[in-house]
Amino acid sequence: MKRSRSLIEKILMLEIVRAMWVVFRHLFVKGVTFQYPHVKRALPDTHRGALALLRYDDGVERCVGCDLCEAACPSRCIKVVSEQVPDQPLVRWAPEFYIDMTKCVFCGFCVEACPVNALAMTKLYEYSTENKRDLYFDKKKLYEIGETYFADAKAYLVAHRQEQADETAIQYRYKFPFSVLTEKKEPSA
Amino acid sequence: MIEMAQYLIVVLVTIGIVMVTVLLHVAYLTYFERKILGWMQDRMGPMEVGYHGLLQPIADGLKLFFKEDIVPAQANKVIFTLAPILVLVPALIGFAVIPFGRDTIQIFGLTFRPYVTDINIGILYILAFASIGAYGVLLGGWASNNKYSLLGGLRSAAQVISYELSLGLSIVGVLLLAGSLSLVKITEAQGGGMFHWFIIPQFVAFVIYLISAIAETNRLPFDLPEAESELVAGFFTEYSGMRFAFFFLAEYANMILVSCIATILFLGGWHAPFEALSFIPPILWFVGKVYLFLFFYIWIRGTLPRLRYDQLMMFGWKVMIPLALANILVTSVVLYFVKG
Repeated sequence: MKRSRSLIEKILMLEIVRAMWVVFRHLFVKGVTFQYPHVKRALPDTHRGALALLRYDDGVERCVGCDLCEAACPSRCIKVVSEQVPDQPLVRWAPEFYIDMTKCVFCGFCVEACPVNALAMTKLYEYSTENKRDLYFDKKKLYEIGETYFADAKAYLVAHRQEQADETAIQYRYKFPFSVLTEKKEPSA
Repeated sequence: MIEMAQYLIVVLVTIGIVMVTVLLHVAYLTYFERKILGWMQDRMGPMEVGYHGLLQPIADGLKLFFKEDIVPAQANKVIFTLAPILVLVPALIGFAVIPFGRDTIQIFGLTFRPYVTDINIGILYILAFASIGAYGVLLGGWASNNKYSLLGGLRSAAQVISYELSLGLSIVGVLLLAGSLSLVKITEAQGGGMFHWFIIPQFVAFVIYLISAIAETNRLPFDLPEAESELVAGFFTEYSGMRFAFFFLAEYANMILVSCIATILFLGGWHAPFEALSFIPPILWFVGKVYLFLFFYIWIRGTLPRLRYDQLMMFGWKVMIPLALANILVTSVVLYFVKG
């Protein structure tokens, strides 16, 4: 639609005057800037930040070395070295666990894949470094993050319906929820 | 002999004070512009260096001062070095005839005036030096041996020449009314309240002057010589460090200079708008009016996009110059019958 302008409008440059008025009003609009290092946004619980490994409340590592996170990872940034716990047949653990944060795409599939909720994502996003090799997180670093940002990780798992409450978390420690175990027991009893 | 020495001291001290004040204002004009532009775009502008970014101009100056000074291998070194000076000096030299205030000050038996000198062809002097600045831009663009610089320089020359005509013609009406080329006399002719200011009889000339002055100082929406999206940085593409700072300073000094002239010619210089408000020092009125114009420049920059080159030329030659000529004609005829 073409609006024809009258001669008076052209002479008075009304369009420009109107535009200038709009700009002038914006002089008094509060800026939308976040002064980032000083002011930080409140992140939602579902925020996908740095990955962390978690422990149970009594300090035992949750990870059972099943390699499912490694299989689920689309960018192949996870490397799990898994072996049997000596003296305890059928129980496995991961003596080494690496996540290459330079490759990670923060999809959260590894957390979904984990059967024992050992992996979770935190709200940590300020882990930039001068040395790129520092971004190759090993087991120690991942457990450190898990301890520091335990509340974030818990909130992430709850928000993503991975783990509803602490009681259910304890059940996974024995590889099967109580409900499954009790169902199995019932026919024999 | 003693009189001579006294005269020299007075002149040198006045020059020093004017230079330092102007350069400080130039530095803080960049801050002013960035802040206002930020607010207009719903941002905050500089916030980090000092309280609300107040030390930003100093940080910028230091940064430019310590930058490496690069001269392109294929450039004409003499002219390349000369060009920034040729731009900055005319921009600063114009302040010599600007009357900032009315009252003289007596210190140690010496009389200081609020302007360096009052020559009887003040406005002509400023116009003459403003045109020399165009040489700096043109030569800088040519000496860089870079196609973007050359195009920027050429555009600048064409633009400055076309808009200087309408700028000069818009001033003529005021000169007819004031009957003098001296900036002090022009200011004094507008005394006695805002209804004696020349903006009222010369409103058309005022608008023409404002638009031409924006084009003359290469500001948006007429910043074709340094059009970022087309010419990288126009005529100062190859300049870095202090040489770049010279161009930058010159641009802002020119902005202040044309604002000063607009204040003197159309808004009555140091005069208060009403007699009741004349308890505020004249120099503050002057600075306030200048900042009004500077704010207007930034406002225009925040509003309008850049003109196309042919639009710019057409507007200059087909609209501004005929209007300015018509304004002179009407002013002269009316003056002939009124003052006759």
